[in-house]
Amino acid sequence: MVRVSKEVLQNAAKTLSDILVCPLSKQPLRYCEESSSLISDAIGVSFPIKNGIPCLVPRDGKILEEEDASKSDNDTNLSAVNEENQERSV
Amino acid sequence: MRRVSLWRKQAWAFRSLRLATFSTSKVTIFDRQLKRTQRDRAAWLTPSHDPLLHTVSQNLVDRLQDCNKTFPTALCLGGSLQPITRSLSAPHANGGVEKLFVMDASYDMVQACKNAYHASNHRAVETHFLVADEEFLPIKESSVDLVVSCLGLHWTNDLPGAMIQSRLALKPDGLFLAAILGGETLKELRIACTLAQMEREGGISPRVSPLAQACVRDAGNLLTRAGFTLPGVDVDEYIVKYESALELIEHLRAMGEINALSQMNSILKRDTALATAAIYDSMFSAEDGTIPATFQVIYMTGWREHSSQQKAKRRGSATVSFNDIQKQFGSQS
Repeated sequence: MVRVSKEVLQNAAKTLSDILVCPLSKQPLRYCEESSSLISDAIGVSFPIKNGIPCLVPRDGKILEEEDASKSDNDTNLSAVNEENQERSV
Repeated sequence: MRRVSLWRKQAWAFRSLRLATFSTSKVTIFDRQLKRTQRDRAAWLTPSHDPLLHTVSQNLVDRLQDCNKTFPTALCLGGSLQPITRSLSAPHANGGVEKLFVMDASYDMVQACKNAYHASNHRAVETHFLVADEEFLPIKESSVDLVVSCLGLHWTNDLPGAMIQSRLALKPDGLFLAAILGGETLKELRIACTLAQMEREGGISPRVSPLAQACVRDAGNLLTRAGFTLPGVDVDEYIVKYESALELIEHLRAMGEINALSQMNSILKRDTALATAAIYDSMFSAEDGTIPATFQVIYMTGWREHSSQQKAKRRGSATVSFNDIQKQFGSQS
């Protein structure tokens, strides 16, 4: 019973993640099963999923610690961040 | 290299979160966080069939009937969520919505909506819920066919920005439908508040939020500025009758439409409040003892650009002179 509802929740989260992006950088989000949160790799912020409802208000986001962020660090993200940095500063 | 990049990443995250928290546009008119709290409260207070919200959302959804197009994926932005989701997901509803995304900045509001959805019998429409801010729309570009916002966007600090983000979220030829409260809303309360404050406190501070002082033209400009094609705007005024000014305030609170100015004076003296009620009653009360309150609703429609839509030809691109046309038709008649 519990498992079924969990699957339903995960399915819902999956459908949502097809259309959801990070509210700040508009880059794709990654679903983290461990902490059941959505992670924006581009800016290193995680957004919680409460009771199957993802909370994507910037204020709800938590800035990830360095170790977490470094796991998923790669060049594409880096270039995206740099681009945004430039855009922001212009 | 890696360390530097991480540092920059963190710095940007801090900066963007701070930006998001304190000021996004240059001017902060409304306290968005306070509005969230008010809407949390409203989630518990709103009756399931509020006549005003019901009428406005019904009017908004009726517009879908005029489009000979279906909208399989729809996104419902904050505002009066429950009436709009109910009318979009009712059997044989207009618009042919198959997948609905319900979004609001208040978690309690979304949760209440979710509970209502699970309690209802007809669940033909696949509905998903999320908490997000209209000013930071977390929706992928060109992913929805319809964006509906019922009485929510007038609380955004950056209305054009929010509308631009909605346009980007729409697929080409997607429809944006919004209802916002206009500047004539609660004019009676505004007058009564000002008079009471002048009388009791010798000065005035804004008690009633400055809503979009928009006439039809301004709303049209907003739509054009946000890049929507075929803009359409119309204005409707609803007059709601209350027994006294206190009932009016209760109703506003239940709708989550209480003042949320970031610079408001947070102290309201009992004296002034009672004086406001008295002035409201003496100036505006009807013969039957009720007091009227005006709600001006501006309905906006806009489409995302698509090659199939009609548009004006480029200037100077005509190949036939009007004189020739006149001659042609003049000779026929």
